[in-house]
Amino acid sequence: MMPILQIKNLTKRYGGLTANNDISFDVAEGEILSVIGPNGAGKSTLFKQIASFVSVTSGEVLFRGKTISNLAPHVVARMGVVRTFQETTIFKSMTVRENIIVAHHLRSKASLLGFFLGSKLARADEAAFGKSADDIVDFLGLEAIRNELASNLPQGHLRALGMAIGLATGPTVLLLDEPFAGMNHDETMKMVASVRRLRDERGVTVMLVEHDMPAVMKISDRIVVINFGEKIAEGTPAEIQANPRVIEAYLGSEDAAIGM
Amino acid sequence: MTKTNLAGIGVFLLVVFVAVPMMIAVSGRWDFYYTLTSVALLSIGSAGVWLTFYIGRINIGQGAYALMGGYVSAVLMTKVGVSFWLTLPLAGLFCAVISVAIGLPILRLRGVYFAMITLVLTEVTRLTALALPVTNGAKGITSIPLPGALTVFGVPLIPDFATIENPKLAFYLLAVTLMVLTYAALWRIVNSRLGHLCRSLQQNEELASSIGVNTAHLRLLAYAISSFFGGIAGAVFVAISQSIYPSSFVVTDSVNFMLYCFVGGLGFVMGPMLGTFLLYFGWDLLSVAREYQLLIYSAAMIALMLVLPNGVLSLFDRREGPK
Amino acid sequence: MEQILANGFYLGAQYALIALGLTLIFSLMNVLNFAHGQMYVFGGFVTYTVVAQLGLPFIVGLFASAIILAIMGALIEVYLFRPVIRKSKREESTMLLAAGIAFFLDAAILLLFGEKQRGVPKIVDGVFNWDMRIIMPYDRILIGVLAIALIAGFIAFMQYSKAGRAMRALAQDRVAAQLMGVDVDRYSMIGFALGAMLAGLVGGLLVTITGINLGMGGPTSIKAFMMIMIGGAGVISGAIAGGFILGMMESVGLTMLAAYGDITYLAIFASLMVFLAFRPQGLMGKPWG
Repeated sequence: MMPILQIKNLTKRYGGLTANNDISFDVAEGEILSVIGPNGAGKSTLFKQIASFVSVTSGEVLFRGKTISNLAPHVVARMGVVRTFQETTIFKSMTVRENIIVAHHLRSKASLLGFFLGSKLARADEAAFGKSADDIVDFLGLEAIRNELASNLPQGHLRALGMAIGLATGPTVLLLDEPFAGMNHDETMKMVASVRRLRDERGVTVMLVEHDMPAVMKISDRIVVINFGEKIAEGTPAEIQANPRVIEAYLGSEDAAIGM
Repeated sequence: MTKTNLAGIGVFLLVVFVAVPMMIAVSGRWDFYYTLTSVALLSIGSAGVWLTFYIGRINIGQGAYALMGGYVSAVLMTKVGVSFWLTLPLAGLFCAVISVAIGLPILRLRGVYFAMITLVLTEVTRLTALALPVTNGAKGITSIPLPGALTVFGVPLIPDFATIENPKLAFYLLAVTLMVLTYAALWRIVNSRLGHLCRSLQQNEELASSIGVNTAHLRLLAYAISSFFGGIAGAVFVAISQSIYPSSFVVTDSVNFMLYCFVGGLGFVMGPMLGTFLLYFGWDLLSVAREYQLLIYSAAMIALMLVLPNGVLSLFDRREGPK
Repeated sequence: MEQILANGFYLGAQYALIALGLTLIFSLMNVLNFAHGQMYVFGGFVTYTVVAQLGLPFIVGLFASAIILAIMGALIEVYLFRPVIRKSKREESTMLLAAGIAFFLDAAILLLFGEKQRGVPKIVDGVFNWDMRIIMPYDRILIGVLAIALIAGFIAFMQYSKAGRAMRALAQDRVAAQLMGVDVDRYSMIGFALGAMLAGLVGGLLVTITGINLGMGGPTSIKAFMMIMIGGAGVISGAIAGGFILGMMESVGLTMLAAYGDITYLAIFASLMVFLAFRPQGLMGKPWG
């Protein structure tokens, strides 16, 4: 079967600085793949390149065999590759439910004029979005904060909301940017379970960039390790934990130990 | 829409269409017609500026579109002999098209950068009007005919303004009708998906594009609608004054449009209307102070900023968002 | 051609000085000072009053403009901008305040100095004539040289004085500067005063050549905005470059496009838009957003 995402010789240079160099790997449909690496290894740039938020210097990203690199981010999102954000990137002055409803934009069948005039199709869309938003709220266990203003939410909920926004677009591939950062153990485990259910129940392919090693080991089908902008290893969690180059990369940095 | 909302709208319509004309007739203050007509037309322009605020852009260029709209209407009427009623939508459309061409490069700018370039746009439009032959330079275009009769399929809808006994009242009703239509459209925009997407753009452009919103298109659309409103307002002003000069709308007017929105409050659809009314009417009332008019007006504005930096309507509601 | 370049250079020096003040205020407090043009006009009227009404030497007038505008700038920062910045939810609120101040200064100028065009007698007579290639009155040359000297002085001040370094740190990164022990309030005030002073000084310089009137404030602000957009807002070298570029374009445009009527500014604006489409941060600005 053709991989759903193919990352081919991806390179990014900023002036004389090389952020990542000749990185290649594939993501299979329906898998959970994590990209890890010490701080400053180029994970973040790689992630943004895949979602097309950053241009590529050379190489390309293919989604179902079609190149998506250097397209506008909203075009890539329309094709089904949707990213979430690291920090508190949400629509702050909307409620949780409003955030999720707005994120249904890609699924609307009616035109903006149709919405303006309140056409039949638009009303059907609105009803469908409301219902779908409620489903997502239930799915991620956000019932208690459904009508809370997003700017009032605590950290942990913000991340769940970020994922809910991504989910609302109806993605084929969801790219999660450090979904466990700043969470305690319980919150992390809840999030791990949510991501797994996302894949199991909704068939979404998930690629994530993360620091939290125990969580990564628990959640991933496969792991790609990068260091100094280059891929140094790829394999199952067990293979990665046994790989001497990975251990070296982590011991050589000030980052936390690889957490086995 | 709730019952209270509907009742509010009913009262509002009664006041502007019935109570105001009656009160003016009773009090004999016919001059208020001109003031209130101006308020209504300026509110249309402010509604546009408010919409660009709604996508997170500070627009200090509405004067430019009011001027353009005015000239389009004036030129079409005097040189081509088109009826005023047809020039009205044409003026709006002309501004919308121009704003798309101008918006393509400048809407990528944010914050003060966008604000600065729109302000420059106003001045450049004035200079262009001075330079072009079709606008007749500094002499402007004068003796523009009053709006003629409007007949649709042989049905006379609006009589010829030149034959009306009280054109002041007619212009007032025209301006107020347009204002009501503008704000109804604005309310619909804000409370439909378009408005929700505009809000998403205002709050976080990156996140908006991650959920598939074509941010560049949406910005252009909002800016074009905004400029359409500006053009309409300008065209009616020309019909009232029957003349237009390059100085009919200048930088001060552009700044004023922005101030009306600020003062009314950026989180409320009715904010720009209220702001326009307060500032313009206030300015008019202050004319009794003669040479101290501007001093008092500006001092009051500065004081307002110190006391209520988030707009007058923020008194009633702390939460941002449409009402 | 030489004449066009000389005119452009002379204009550019004035413009750069105006843009410097505006960009300084912007870089320190992220405030777009709408009242900059009015401050310039105010400065011009102060010099006019001192020189033409009181009969004192030109240099005294210039000093008076500088001091009065500096005090005005400091007061405006401390009593108006500071509290509004502290209380408001959006940074745009400062724009409303700045516009209010611009109107207020317009009103104050009208009441204090009237609406007539004012000028002072020539400070130097004679015309420099190089073979009919460059013809320029001596007073223009003197003002141009003074403006350049002021620009040089300003750069030296920002580069070598303690206050200058503190302000540059503040412009770079407000929070970091605060952590490093820079007194943010104090240097915001000094910066605003300095920016206003520069505007006043240009007003004082130009009153000798073009005279001054109430209506010059708004257009001057607009030109200053264009300059800092060309050069990149908040960057000192950008303001200087923007000033000279606009001066040059204006001088070239007025000559070359004269046949087509007064469309210089339309041409400049169109090129500015094209330029910004490719380089939204201006020539020397930092990329943002």
